[in-house]
Amino acid sequence: MSWRITRPRAKADIAVGALGSAGAVALVTAAVGLLDGWIPVLSLGALYVFAVLLASVMWGLAFALPVAVTSMLVFNWFFLPPTHTFHLKDGENWLVLMLYLVVAVVTSELAARARRRAREAEQREREAALLAEVAASLLTGRPVTDELDGIATRAAAVLGTPHAWITLEGEAEVGPDAEAFPLEAGGRTLGFISMPTPEPIDERVVQRFLPALSSLLAVALDRQQLEQDVLEAESLRRSDAVKTTVLRAVSHDLRSPLTAIAAAASGLHNPALDLSTEDRMDLVETILEESTRLERLVSDLLDISRLQAGAAMPVRELWSVDELVGSALDELDDAETTVSVPHDLPPVEVDAGQAQRILVNLLENAHRHAASAAGVTVIAAPIGSETVMISVHDDGPGIEPADTESVFEPFWRGATGAGRSGLGLAIARGFALANSGTLRVGKSNAGATLELTFPTGRSKPEDAAG
Amino acid sequence: MSSGLVLVVDDEPQILRALQTNLRGAGYEVITAATGESALVEAAMRPPDAVILDLVLPGKSGTDVCRELRAWSDVPVIVLSAVGDERAKVAALDAGADDYVTKPFGIDELLARLRAALRRTGQPLEPVVAVGDLRVDLEKRAVSVRGEAVQLTPHEYSMLALFARNVGKLLTHRAILREVWGPQYGSESHYLHVYVSQLRRKIEADPTRPRYLLTESGAGYRLVEPS
Repeated sequence: MSWRITRPRAKADIAVGALGSAGAVALVTAAVGLLDGWIPVLSLGALYVFAVLLASVMWGLAFALPVAVTSMLVFNWFFLPPTHTFHLKDGENWLVLMLYLVVAVVTSELAARARRRAREAEQREREAALLAEVAASLLTGRPVTDELDGIATRAAAVLGTPHAWITLEGEAEVGPDAEAFPLEAGGRTLGFISMPTPEPIDERVVQRFLPALSSLLAVALDRQQLEQDVLEAESLRRSDAVKTTVLRAVSHDLRSPLTAIAAAASGLHNPALDLSTEDRMDLVETILEESTRLERLVSDLLDISRLQAGAAMPVRELWSVDELVGSALDELDDAETTVSVPHDLPPVEVDAGQAQRILVNLLENAHRHAASAAGVTVIAAPIGSETVMISVHDDGPGIEPADTESVFEPFWRGATGAGRSGLGLAIARGFALANSGTLRVGKSNAGATLELTFPTGRSKPEDAAG
Repeated sequence: MSSGLVLVVDDEPQILRALQTNLRGAGYEVITAATGESALVEAAMRPPDAVILDLVLPGKSGTDVCRELRAWSDVPVIVLSAVGDERAKVAALDAGADDYVTKPFGIDELLARLRAALRRTGQPLEPVVAVGDLRVDLEKRAVSVRGEAVQLTPHEYSMLALFARNVGKLLTHRAILREVWGPQYGSESHYLHVYVSQLRRKIEADPTRPRYLLTESGAGYRLVEPS
């Protein structure tokens, strides 16, 4: 049996207990006084058991014992002959006093035990609730490190300390007033939970609760590690695929213009060759054309590898659609395309360079497939208030329904094998997505339509208006 | 007779050689430097009429050279930039470079930029600037296109006047914002583009195919004589 009083009582608790006990004794005394004369006074003494019971259940043995002794003395003073003395005429009265004391001790121990059980049940319930909560939060897939502070705060509540902190891997953070407990699971130390020492910590709670918490953390950490491994393997696989496509392009697409340049230049360089001025100009033109092709290919490869590595990093600003379309037409020296952009179209929020790249690639693609130079149209229109659609249409043979997605694959050349590098549409879609836009093949009765959408920008600040 | 002295700064010997040959062929006298430090020394010893400056140099970068050069010289500077150097290009323009050419470039393009830059220097500013059919009267603050007066808002006019005082010169977003809206602006290129397209609707026949006010993607705008 333990009589341990775990915490020093607060002054307020003592005052309430003392006043309550005194009140209980006074009340019973008044009741006995009222009933005196009707009922034999000695049997009325049993009423004081209520006061002792009340004190022991409410405030514990520390109050029940004084109540028992006081009750005995008061009963003796007021009601037992000779009254108004503490002298006991009858030896039986000692028996009554002893009875009060035994009742006090037994009930207060029973009450204390019930209280302890209830507290322990509550404590276990808190621990179970916390573990369930921790399990749930660790299984959401968020990084464990993001959850640690929340778990530590809740663990502190369970352990009964004002705050606690968890450190994974490495040394525990222990200040002069803190104590660290290792979090161990499966024979390895995951980290430490530390808490300030002034508060006494219940060893049993620590021994019961920490292993459960550690096991949960171990599971979550292992799961996180596995996920990371899977991601790394996936990104390695993807970068491998990029390398393969780049190598394929380099071996074929870069080599042919280089071969043409080397052949033309060495021809010009060779004094033994008898070349007319016309021949020389031809060779020079070959060099110029092929170096342009090389340059386009190199920048395409750069774009596609940036996009596949997720490194497009658009700098998005407000641009009017006519300006974006205009700069693309300007780059292509394109005077044939029919353009229809309404004047009241809201500006779009995109990276101008990337938007220009998209439009140039779409226009080039359209002109390559168009039946005539004048067969390409660009139409812009709002879709709701937050999107603008720019459709690029050509009057060529159109795109097979089966190919509406594969045209956006890098190095896809289709049945005709046409195209600059097979990267144009892949780059266009990549940049569209990087700018929160979309690019897909639209429905059209004749020819092909590619539909590009861009998000509209926030409305311009009027205070800066002219 | 030489058309001028050009300082070419690039750390690639092949590019230096090609540029030197072509510029000599076009009648320029050429001095070369392979680093930013030696470029500043050369420019101080024999002030050139124009500088062609690679952005990516070992040691002192092209942008640094630009900034230090501007501390004591107004010589026109044309920077050479590659795809992917956009930020450095804009930084160099903001640091005082006059124009840029993107690598790989044709020599025709470089020579045209060089001629334009040389032409602009030492030209007195006329009170009425005429570019094609566009007339900007800087004294009366009046603008007309094909003989018809155009109504502009104060900001549109300030913007057009700035372009008119710098015909042919590339103006960066930052430079335009500071000149027109004030020194506290500089990074709000957000709505600058929208105002430029409003201005275009008033002065261009077809705003999607501008002939006067051209966009230099990612860098700024330029008012040009229509071709």
